[in-house]
Amino acid sequence: MSKEVLITKNDTKSLKLNKLPVITWRWLKVNEFNLKDFKLENIPAYNKNSINSHPVDEIEVNIIDNSVEYLEIEKYFNSLDNVGVSQEFTKMADSMYNCGIQIIASKNKKVSEPVFLRYSTDNKNPMIVDQNLIIAEENSTITVIIDYTSDDSTPGFHNGMTKIYAKDGAIVNLIKLQTMNDTSLNLDANIAYIGHGAKVNNVSLELGSDKSVVSYINNLEKDTAESNLDSIYLVDNSRLIDMNYLMNHFGRRTISNINTYGALKDKSKKTFKGTLDFKRGSSLSKGSEEEYAILLDKDVKSDAIPLLLCEEEDVEGLHAASAGRIDENKLFYLMSRGFSEREAKKLIIESYFRPIIDKIPLSQLRKKVENHIENRLLKI
Amino acid sequence: MEKRNKTYVEDVNRGVYDIKNEVRYSYKSDKGLTPEIIKAISKEKNEPKWMTDFRLKSLEVYHKLDLPPWGPDLSELNMEDIVTYIRPDTKMNTSWDEVPEDIKKTFDSLGIPEAERAALAGVGAQYDSEVVYHSIREELTAQGVIYTDIETAIKEYEDIVKEYFMTCVPPKDHKFAALHGAVWSGGSFVYVPEGVNVDIPLQSYFRLNAPGAGQFEHTLIIVEKGASLHFIEGCSAPIHSVINIHAGCVELFVKEDASLRYSTIENWSRNMYNLNTKRAIVEKNGTIEWVSGSFGSKVSMLYPMSILRGERAKAEFTGITFAGKGQHLDTGTKVIHAAPHTSSNINTKSISKDGGIAIYRGAVKISKNANHSKSTVTCESLMLDSKSKSDTIPVIDIMNDKVDLGHEAKIGRISEEAIFYLMSRGISEEEAKAMIVRGFVEPITKELPLEYAVEMNNLINLELEGTIG
Repeated sequence: MSKEVLITKNDTKSLKLNKLPVITWRWLKVNEFNLKDFKLENIPAYNKNSINSHPVDEIEVNIIDNSVEYLEIEKYFNSLDNVGVSQEFTKMADSMYNCGIQIIASKNKKVSEPVFLRYSTDNKNPMIVDQNLIIAEENSTITVIIDYTSDDSTPGFHNGMTKIYAKDGAIVNLIKLQTMNDTSLNLDANIAYIGHGAKVNNVSLELGSDKSVVSYINNLEKDTAESNLDSIYLVDNSRLIDMNYLMNHFGRRTISNINTYGALKDKSKKTFKGTLDFKRGSSLSKGSEEEYAILLDKDVKSDAIPLLLCEEEDVEGLHAASAGRIDENKLFYLMSRGFSEREAKKLIIESYFRPIIDKIPLSQLRKKVENHIENRLLKI
Repeated sequence: MEKRNKTYVEDVNRGVYDIKNEVRYSYKSDKGLTPEIIKAISKEKNEPKWMTDFRLKSLEVYHKLDLPPWGPDLSELNMEDIVTYIRPDTKMNTSWDEVPEDIKKTFDSLGIPEAERAALAGVGAQYDSEVVYHSIREELTAQGVIYTDIETAIKEYEDIVKEYFMTCVPPKDHKFAALHGAVWSGGSFVYVPEGVNVDIPLQSYFRLNAPGAGQFEHTLIIVEKGASLHFIEGCSAPIHSVINIHAGCVELFVKEDASLRYSTIENWSRNMYNLNTKRAIVEKNGTIEWVSGSFGSKVSMLYPMSILRGERAKAEFTGITFAGKGQHLDTGTKVIHAAPHTSSNINTKSISKDGGIAIYRGAVKISKNANHSKSTVTCESLMLDSKSKSDTIPVIDIMNDKVDLGHEAKIGRISEEAIFYLMSRGISEEEAKAMIVRGFVEPITKELPLEYAVEMNNLINLELEGTIG
């Protein structure tokens, strides 16, 4: 464990996370997320089993180690610049992780039962620094659910990196749920290699933490690669969330979709950065991006920066962002059917969230999320 | 897929825009930026002390500020090599006949006096650092409308100029606003008194003839309560091998119930760094409409800004950017909703070809008290080949819950289906493609006064010649 990558008091001034891929005016303060007063002197061990359930015999699931077998894959990830929420945190997750799982789906194996990982903080295990590696060999299919949560009210810290390597024809579904307590800090980075005809589907449900900084970088490396990123977030009180999603189109005929829905309440703040980057040579590719924010209180702050970068003539890119009050017409309709205003608002938010919650393949977990959202919305 | 052949022309012949005159001047400042140069310019212009002090203070600010870390690369721009002030060898004229022959010819070939006779209420023409011609129809003067060069305004309407000058765009805003504050020269001053509607447009045309020089004109427009105005600005320069810089400043004050339309067609030559700052402050029920066409320059950083300060104030922005070979045009708009029930509507198109870089950069900010505000943003980009680049960088910042905001951006190519359809109707492939490009920009051209729409179509035809097909 090398000491120099730890973050000490001296360099806490300027931890700039989730940098916008192409920066803009400084007065808007959206070029990066400033993490203030953060220091970390050591990373205590994490002594819990994180494998909740998995299809035994079907898939290889191991505690992560720096295995030499996947040198080539590691090399791919190590050669990338600007991955993760920031250089220091990427380094930390890479070399100082205290937990993590390595999952390998072998060639042609199609597994419908999900691998379910659960990481939770408590007073004995206040930090999760995880590194996860998901390797899907040619034409395999795999689903992984990762649940980050808190088992008590201890302020938790999560900094993790999940790497996906989807070889030709493989399908990887990764569902991430974050319900850490409201004194926690969550830094979650994801990076994916997507091969020829392969597909990576990300589902992100960001419901907890005091501050949550999330990064997804999906590289559509080979022709006809595809990626979908569906996410919801719910922020209330003085929570902050900063999302930085990047779809890099390298291959020809690649497809990407980003759909983000969220609700902001009280004095919460959200920044959504979604980038579709069509690199030279990504001809006949298509990308679309949609973001919708429901604003419930006058003191919320909502930033959206949907970037569209293009160096290729023969592509189609589309982005749309909108924000606003709950649609008056819908509200009026529901109220005319006997719902109170409160119930009606909740119903509308649920209707935005529902299609994404339905993507959780475990009914038990789905129920848990539904209850969680229900409880949170009670306060509306 | 069918292999498409493209023929590229080296550089377009810009015709009348490239006519160069011999550089004759009665005063020319030294190259670079020092308090001595600033004092000399101010003395030469015979300015009041407050303005000299303002310039010197701006210069201090300029040296303190850094270059923007975002946007195009400005490292090639060396202010030590730029001559900031060149007084052409003529005085300000109010009769066209008195304008020196070569300058007159330049403006004649650009169609300025012709446009004046046909369709304008007043015309101003600036050549290098000073305004050489200004005129306004008598009936407007009778109604109290003031349209003059800003140097005259400082002398004759000192109180008004002093009250407004660089209050909308303060020098500390950014490095080039500070530069402007230090070395500004020329530009127009318009004052429309309460309730006066100026039906036909006023126009100022800026021409930079000298190589290695800067143009820093200041446009100050005040449209009083219930009044209205349409102002047109045109800019061009012949091509030189050295870098020129344009760091003008436009300050618009739109009062209660007033409306102002500000149209620009900019066709600077491709050695120009166009770092212009334009801003409007709009009061209650007022309207600002921007129509902005960017075709020329090597590098542009241009983002007209609307500050909607009064309730129900409105902003509209219609922009087109066409980036060709060697051009990096970073353009867009900023809107600050700072009062309840304000609304903004942004519509931009950009085309990039032949290695050109066209960037839309925008910001919509809805502040805490701006409840019930509405904003719609639509950006479309068209790439004509894969040597070029086109980015869309919008920021939407909302600080209250009672808003209605929509943002949409699209990027794409000329659709094969549309070409096929047109060809099936007997139109040649080249013509079909040109038609589609013209159709793409049509929503912008129709916002322009006729002669400018014609000019823009000509520019597009010049740009497209030989590049499509």
